Amino acid sequence: MSIPKRALGTIAIPLISFIILEALCLQHGSHVITNMRSFDNFVVYVAIVMITTIALSINLNSGRFDFSLGSMAALSAVIGAKITYAVLGGGQGSAAMMLLITVVAGALLGLISGCVYVALRIPPIITSLGITLIYEGIMYTITEGKYLRAEVQNSSMSGFVSTWKYAFVIIVVVLVATIVLFDHTRFGYDYKALKDGQKVAVNTGINEVKNALGCYAICGGLMGLVGFLNAARNTTINGGQLNFASIAIMFTAFLPMFIGSYISRFTNERIGFLLAAVTMSLLNSTFAVFSNEVTASMQSIINAVLLVVFLIYLNNENLLVRIFSKK
Amino acid sequence: MKKRMTKILSLLVVGAMTVATFVGCGSTGKGDDKGSSDGAKIGVLVADVSGEEAQGFRNYYEKYIAGNYDVEFTYTDALESAEDEKAAIEKFASQGCDAIISLSSSDRAQQIETCEKYGVYYAIASGVLDNEQYETYKGYEHFVGQVGPSNETEFEAGKEMGAHFKDQGVKSVALYGAFIPNPMHVYRAAGVLVGLGCTYGGASDMDAIVGQIFADQGVTLSKVAGDTQVVAYLQGYGDTTTDELNAAIQKNPEAFISVGMATTFFTQTLNEAGIQFSDIDSFTEANGAAIKDGKLVYLAGKYSSSIGPVFALVMNAINGNVIRDDNGNAVSVSQGYLVATDGESFDSFYLSDNGSNPIYSKDTLDSIIGDDVTYADVKSLIESK
Repeated sequence: MSIPKRALGTIAIPLISFIILEALCLQHGSHVITNMRSFDNFVVYVAIVMITTIALSINLNSGRFDFSLGSMAALSAVIGAKITYAVLGGGQGSAAMMLLITVVAGALLGLISGCVYVALRIPPIITSLGITLIYEGIMYTITEGKYLRAEVQNSSMSGFVSTWKYAFVIIVVVLVATIVLFDHTRFGYDYKALKDGQKVAVNTGINEVKNALGCYAICGGLMGLVGFLNAARNTTINGGQLNFASIAIMFTAFLPMFIGSYISRFTNERIGFLLAAVTMSLLNSTFAVFSNEVTASMQSIINAVLLVVFLIYLNNENLLVRIFSKK
Repeated sequence: MKKRMTKILSLLVVGAMTVATFVGCGSTGKGDDKGSSDGAKIGVLVADVSGEEAQGFRNYYEKYIAGNYDVEFTYTDALESAEDEKAAIEKFASQGCDAIISLSSSDRAQQIETCEKYGVYYAIASGVLDNEQYETYKGYEHFVGQVGPSNETEFEAGKEMGAHFKDQGVKSVALYGAFIPNPMHVYRAAGVLVGLGCTYGGASDMDAIVGQIFADQGVTLSKVAGDTQVVAYLQGYGDTTTDELNAAIQKNPEAFISVGMATTFFTQTLNEAGIQFSDIDSFTEANGAAIKDGKLVYLAGKYSSSIGPVFALVMNAINGNVIRDDNGNAVSVSQGYLVATDGESFDSFYLSDNGSNPIYSKDTLDSIIGDDVTYADVKSLIESK
C-alpha cells in the first residue's frame, strides 16, 4: 500500500468525524472544542478511552475476554486513594503518589487475575466474571459501599485534570511503551506468535503461561492508570459497585476498539486506538455542546447504534466494495 | 501438585465469591453498645449512604441515639427501587425488628403496606407523603407518623434559593435536579424555577409545574422561559454525570443551583471552575468547608438531629404509646429549613447541633418519650426548633 493511501486511511475516520461533528456544532452556533476547559476535557477523555481500549485489546486479541478490567480500575484506584490519603492526607504530591500506587496495585490485581486463569484452566470469560465479583466485593468492603470523596478531592488531584498537559504526557508514554513492548521486544514477538497460532507457537518453545501472565499484569497496570484518571476526573470513586456494575468502565472501549482495529490496517494498531479514542472524544465533546438536547440516555443509544452500524459495515465490507465497483 | 494448587485456588475463588455476594447485605450500626436482645430493634431504610446529609443522620442515630438509649439500628445498603425497599422491609421483619424508619422514598405507599402486612411500626423521617397518600394511609394501625419538610416546604425552600440568585442579578444558571422524580427534588426544582422568575410550560404555580416535571421525569429546558436563563440541566448521578457537569460548566453559567447532593458530588469541580453554587442539604463539616473556603454561597439545610422526633415517636409506639393526632390519625408534622449564606451563619447552625450535644439531645427527646406523651407535646417541641 502506498504511503499517501496509508496516511489517508489512517486519518480518514477521525477527520471525517471531525468535519461532520464540527458542521453540526456550527449549525448550533458553537464548535466541537468550545474553550480551553473543553480542550482539557477532550485530552483527558482521549487518554482514558485510549488506555482502556489498549488494555481490552491485549487479552481480547488472544481470545481471552476479560470482564474484570473495570473492577481492576476501580479497586486499584480505591487502594491508591486510601494509601495516599493515609500518608499525605490530601496534601502536596497526592496525585503523583496515587498514580504510582494505583498503577502498581492494578498490575498486581491483573497478575492475580492471570494466575487464577492459568491455574484453573477454565474459559477466561468465566474466570473474569468471578474475579470481577471478588474485586467488587473487596472494594465494597474497603469503602463500606460509599463514594470515596475526601481521599481524592484535593488540589493536587484537581490540578492533574485541570490541564491537558499531564494527560498528554500519559498518552505519549503509554503509546510509546506499548508500541515498544508489543512490536519490538521478545515478549511482543511471543505475544504475536501466540495470538496468530497458539499451538504452533507453544511447540516452538514459547512459554505461553509467562506471556499470558505478562499480558494480564500489563492490562492491570493500564487499568490502574484508567482508575486514577477516572478518580481525578470524577472527583469521586464509587465504592458501591456490586454485581458487575464496574463492567461499564470496560464497555466504553468497544466501539473505539473496532474503529482502532479498522485503522490498524493502515498503521500501527496502537496508533489506531489513539485515533479511535480521538474520534470518541470528538463525539463526547459534541455531546457536551448538545447536552441540553441530547440526554445522557440518548447519548448511550447513539453510541450503541454507532457500534452496531460500524460492525455491520465491517461484516459487509467486501459486499459493499463489490456493489460500488460494479457501478 | 498442580491438582492440589487448582483445588486450593478453586476453593479460594468460591470463598471469595461467597463473601462478595453477601457483603452487600445490610449492616448493623456500630454504635449499639447498649443494643441487646431486650432493647428495641429499628431498621432504617436508606436510598443514599454517601451523601453529607445521609452520613450526618446516620452518625446521629448510630453514635448519639444508640449510645443513649437501649436501641439497635440496622441500616440497609443504598436502596435503588421499590422492590429493594420491599425486600429490605421483609428482611427486617424476619430479623425481628420492632419498627422501621424510612429515609428512602421510591415507593412509600408500598413501604407502609408491607409494614402493615408484617405488623411492624413504620415512620417517615426527613420527608412526608403527598397529601393524597397521607389521606389514604393516616389510619393504618402501624403507620406511626411522618416528620419532615412538607412538599410545600420543599417548594418554598427551592423558591427562596432561586430568588436569592435572581435578587443578586444573576442572569444565567445551570440547574441540577438531583434525583428527580424523587418528590422532594421535584418540588424543590419547581420552586427554584419560580424563584428565578421563570415559568415552566407556561405555568407559574406550584401544582402545575410539579405535575409537568413529574410527567417529564426531569426539567425540559425548552419549556423554561423567564427572567433568568437556565443554560444547562442535569440530574442523577452515574457514568455520564462528569460529562454532563463538564458540559454545563462549558456553557459558562453565572451560578450552579442544585436541589440536592451537589455538595457531595460537585464541590471540587465547581470550586475549580470558579462557579458559585447552592444546595439544599445539611449542616455538616464538609459543607462548612465548602461555604468557608469554596464557592458554596447558599445552603438550605436540615441539622443532623432533626430526625430525633421520629425516633421518639417510634420508641413510644414500641413501648405501647402509639401517639395519634387530634383526629386519631398518624402524626404528621412539617419541619422547615435553615439557610446559611456565609461561614458565620453556617456555624450558628452547625455548632449548635454537633457530636455529643445535638439540638435534639437526650434531655430534649426524653420530654417526648414516655407513656404520658401526647400529640400536642410532640408537635409543640418540633415547632419550637
